[in-house]
Amino acid sequence: MDTTVYVPIPDDAPAAGARPAVTPAVRARALTKTYGRGEAEVRALDGVDVDFAAGRFTAIMGPSGSGKSTLMHLLAGLDSATSGQAFVGSTEVTGLNDKALTAVRRTRVGFVFQQFNLLPMFTAEQNITLPVELAGGTVDKMWLGTLVDTLGLGKRLTHRPAELSGGQQQRVAIARALIAQPDVVFADEPTGNLDSRSGAEVLSFLRRSVRELGRTIIMVTHDPAAAAYADRVVLIADGKIAGDITDPTPESALAGLDALRTVAAR
Amino acid sequence: MIRLTLSQMRRSAGRLAAAAVAIVIGTAFVAVTLLAGNVITSTTYDSIAAQYTGADLVVRGAAPGGATEDAVRDVAGVATADEQLMSYQQLENGGRTIFQGVLAEPTDPAVLPLTVTDGALPEAAGEIALPTDVAERLDVAPGDQITLARNVLDGDQEVDEQAWTEVREKLTVSGTLDDPYGAFSMMGGAAVAPAADVQGWEADLMGPGESSGEPATLLVTLDEGVDVGQTREAITGAAATAASNAGMDVSAVDVVTPDEHAESVASEMTGGEDVIFTTFVLVFAAIALLVAALVIANTFQVLVAQRTRTLALLRCVGADKSQLRRSVLFEATLLGLASSVVGLLAGLGLGQAALAVGRGMDLGVPLPETITLTPAVVLVPVVVGTLVTLVAAFAPARAATRVAPLAALRPDEAPTAARGAGRVRLVLSLLVAVVGFALLGAGVALSTAAGEPTTGLLVGVAGGVLSFVGVLVSAVFWLPRVVALAGRLVGASGPTARLAAANTLRNPRRTAATSTALLIGVTLVGMMSTAAASARITMDAEFDGRYPVDVTVSTDLSGSGKDATPVPAGLGDTVRELDGVASVLEVPATSVQLAGDGVDEAAQVIARGMDPDEAASVLRSTESLTPLAAGTAVVPENVADVWGVTDGQTLTLTGPDGPLETTAAVTELADDAVVLVPDDLATLDAAAPTTGLWVGLDDPRDAAAVVPTIQDAVADTEAPADVLGAAVERASFQQVIDTALGIVVGLLAVAVVIALIGVANTLSLSVIERRRESATLRAIGLSKAQLRGMLAVEGVLIALVGAVLGVLLGLVYGWTGAAAALGWAGEPAIAVPWRDVLLMLGVALVAGLVASVAPARTAVRTSPVEALATE
Repeated sequence: MDTTVYVPIPDDAPAAGARPAVTPAVRARALTKTYGRGEAEVRALDGVDVDFAAGRFTAIMGPSGSGKSTLMHLLAGLDSATSGQAFVGSTEVTGLNDKALTAVRRTRVGFVFQQFNLLPMFTAEQNITLPVELAGGTVDKMWLGTLVDTLGLGKRLTHRPAELSGGQQQRVAIARALIAQPDVVFADEPTGNLDSRSGAEVLSFLRRSVRELGRTIIMVTHDPAAAAYADRVVLIADGKIAGDITDPTPESALAGLDALRTVAAR
Repeated sequence: MIRLTLSQMRRSAGRLAAAAVAIVIGTAFVAVTLLAGNVITSTTYDSIAAQYTGADLVVRGAAPGGATEDAVRDVAGVATADEQLMSYQQLENGGRTIFQGVLAEPTDPAVLPLTVTDGALPEAAGEIALPTDVAERLDVAPGDQITLARNVLDGDQEVDEQAWTEVREKLTVSGTLDDPYGAFSMMGGAAVAPAADVQGWEADLMGPGESSGEPATLLVTLDEGVDVGQTREAITGAAATAASNAGMDVSAVDVVTPDEHAESVASEMTGGEDVIFTTFVLVFAAIALLVAALVIANTFQVLVAQRTRTLALLRCVGADKSQLRRSVLFEATLLGLASSVVGLLAGLGLGQAALAVGRGMDLGVPLPETITLTPAVVLVPVVVGTLVTLVAAFAPARAATRVAPLAALRPDEAPTAARGAGRVRLVLSLLVAVVGFALLGAGVALSTAAGEPTTGLLVGVAGGVLSFVGVLVSAVFWLPRVVALAGRLVGASGPTARLAAANTLRNPRRTAATSTALLIGVTLVGMMSTAAASARITMDAEFDGRYPVDVTVSTDLSGSGKDATPVPAGLGDTVRELDGVASVLEVPATSVQLAGDGVDEAAQVIARGMDPDEAASVLRSTESLTPLAAGTAVVPENVADVWGVTDGQTLTLTGPDGPLETTAAVTELADDAVVLVPDDLATLDAAAPTTGLWVGLDDPRDAAAVVPTIQDAVADTEAPADVLGAAVERASFQQVIDTALGIVVGLLAVAVVIALIGVANTLSLSVIERRRESATLRAIGLSKAQLRGMLAVEGVLIALVGAVLGVLLGLVYGWTGAAAALGWAGEPAIAVPWRDVLLMLGVALVAGLVASVAPARTAVRTSPVEALATE
């Protein structure tokens, strides 16, 4: 039984660094994103300060429309911020041009999508090695072997996506995200399109990637059960950080989410 | 349902617009063709009608001579009546000579459709007004004098002993004339001289009281207020009486108005010309429309595929199959109609612009100011364009009915077009192709080996059409494989190219259709240019053998060496210095008597002397002079035929300085003289004068420009020398081939342009379909430049495969076509028109790149965020 209790964090609290000893892999400072103007202005993200530690598996959790996806897009440099800063390692991704952002995506960041997004005309292996090839690099065979072993893809490398199950496709996608040994992997609802068994499998692979391969993963999810696989859960509501749970369990994560809903309903 | 169709069209506006461009071009092509046909007809009509402007009535089939004129003039109400008489005469000034039609000046100058630009019309005998360009060429102005050299029949001689004497008279130029309506453009223009003079010249060609017997045409003007109908009858009567007096066919006499006359002549003349022209060009318009149909079918297939979910949803809520089919066909009809109207308007605009440009260029033919709209010009393009679009949409419409209602419930899937076609189609189309190629081979064999050129050509054409159909229909099976192979080649160059190659194979059917559209145009262009190149080489060889000398200058006009004047000293050197002249051989000649077994006793011919080595420097082909050696007389075939000389016989030649025994060698030499080596000629006539220059040109194709300079050089010496240019004939033949080729290729180019639009269309459809994928690629590190590059490689792959295959097919068809058509002209040469081949591949390469620009711009705008979107 997990006994962690949900502790609300005041709005003006300093950035939540769970273990100060670890250098943050990703940081946000006063990160703000607004859509529309005047009356119709929507603050999707409202001055968020948050650190994500390297070598950790962090889940960003919140209800629909809370701004969790926007936060991830800004941290990954996929979308431009209205104000504030986002850093991957020591590189500020806010304010980089497209060319520099492409370079960041090639070497420093990996992505896992809800819909897998594998290229249908390539085999599993070709899909995995594609990012390295696009960057004009050579594939590290040792690392590829490690990934394939860890993710259990050994017998599937010559198959095309259409011949793989959803869980297998998502494992290929994880391998693709990790092949360039990026500083951080962003996963957007990675289990959203999977049945619960495949979902559990994928989540344990993500956790193993962090524990055994020393990677950093930030996962966006609205599923408390998925969030429980993480080392830490950052709760977000109405575009603001609304809570922080270390070593979560499905129950504590759900409790946190419920608390947000009650806050929102009040 | 209609509202739904319309709203769907609005949503797909961009894609439909791309398909519309193909139809617009096709229908504009048809419209311009029909307009051009009309312009040809009306230009012919105008030019004929112009000859009679100013006349009130035209008498046709009348007896020539003054009697008819007088009889018609005596009819009450007739103001003037003049025979339209034209006499062709030789006009000279200095060394320049022009053969010009001279028109008898009518009593009423208003009847003359010519305008005076300088000076005046002739007023007194011995005056002449010249067309402006003729005056320029003769270098004269009003007031100057020119020489008229005409023939006069000698005294009272028996008919079979008629002889003419050349009479030279001075004429004064009274003025210069323009022909603003092109009335005489088909007769090389017209000069004008007093009627009495012209009648006199014509009369001098005949004996006293003789008549040419040719029916004449009279132009009649009436007094004001006279009733045309009544006068017309009276004139008919008067002209008929005059005709019967002259012993001519009375029933041929006919009085008509100028309009009636022009109409009947124009319809006689153009019953052929404009119909042939229109049919000919419409064949190319049909090819362009066929290609457009492929592009449209492609677009609709994708539209249906993209709307799978909507269509399935409609089926779920109760739409039946025929409603869906009707919806697609209605959409096609609307699109076809709208773009056909745009195409028609574009065609009319183009036609009008072409007329404006043509009028500004002074083509020698008066063009109408505006295009003439007939029901055919308006309706045919619109109907044809709409029908083609509708027919092209049939297959996609059937695909739409096959969408199952269940498809609406399935999770989001990338739309896929219908997969490969049936085995039956594969077997049938391959069979047709194989049979077609076999027939093609048989046609060539028939025409070359079996000596049956007509049958061979027919069989060959049938085989060509059949095999091309087979190739096109089976393209969907083998073309993707070729693209795959090409993709593997370029894929080696990096991940971007590999992505592109893989992409082209995702929808083999669409790639095949896109490449096929290009293949059609390129094959036909390639075929035409290959056939032309092969024909050129074959004909060159033929000409080389037949006309080995490009240009000859000779003074032995009379055919007897006796009174031949030598070529003026120094002329050889003068000609040699001219631009475009490569070499000049001075050929001495003398007249000799031939004797031998079976040789006609009266055989008197010219003998030329030339060194075989020196001759080789001038001749295109020395084949016909190969036997030339001491003791051998080369006898041209035609000379041998006339005098009964046989190959290899002993021939004794007797010249002024003695006889010479030779062996006759009969060859295909195109000359009327026997050829000997110089020493042999010297034996016959030690002082044989140089009576000819054999001139070799740098490039016989320039003959049309070079020969006149030689003519001028010869004319400047004022020696009575004749310049004969076999090269001119050769050049004009080549020009015909080149012009025909240029026109055909230009017409086919329209089909290629439409096909290239198809490439751009296919790419932009792919880009729309692959939005999420492009975003994913961007998210995992594909740069904008790489994305653009990927699409460029895709475009180039599709275009180049179509172009390369088209060129290869075109070569095969061109060679076999030339072999079948020119088999009679000897061994058909196989030529590769490298310049055209490279040009086509270059165009395909560039077009593939250009086609990818707009789709790439859309693609790079896709934010990587879209990869994360969940629809």
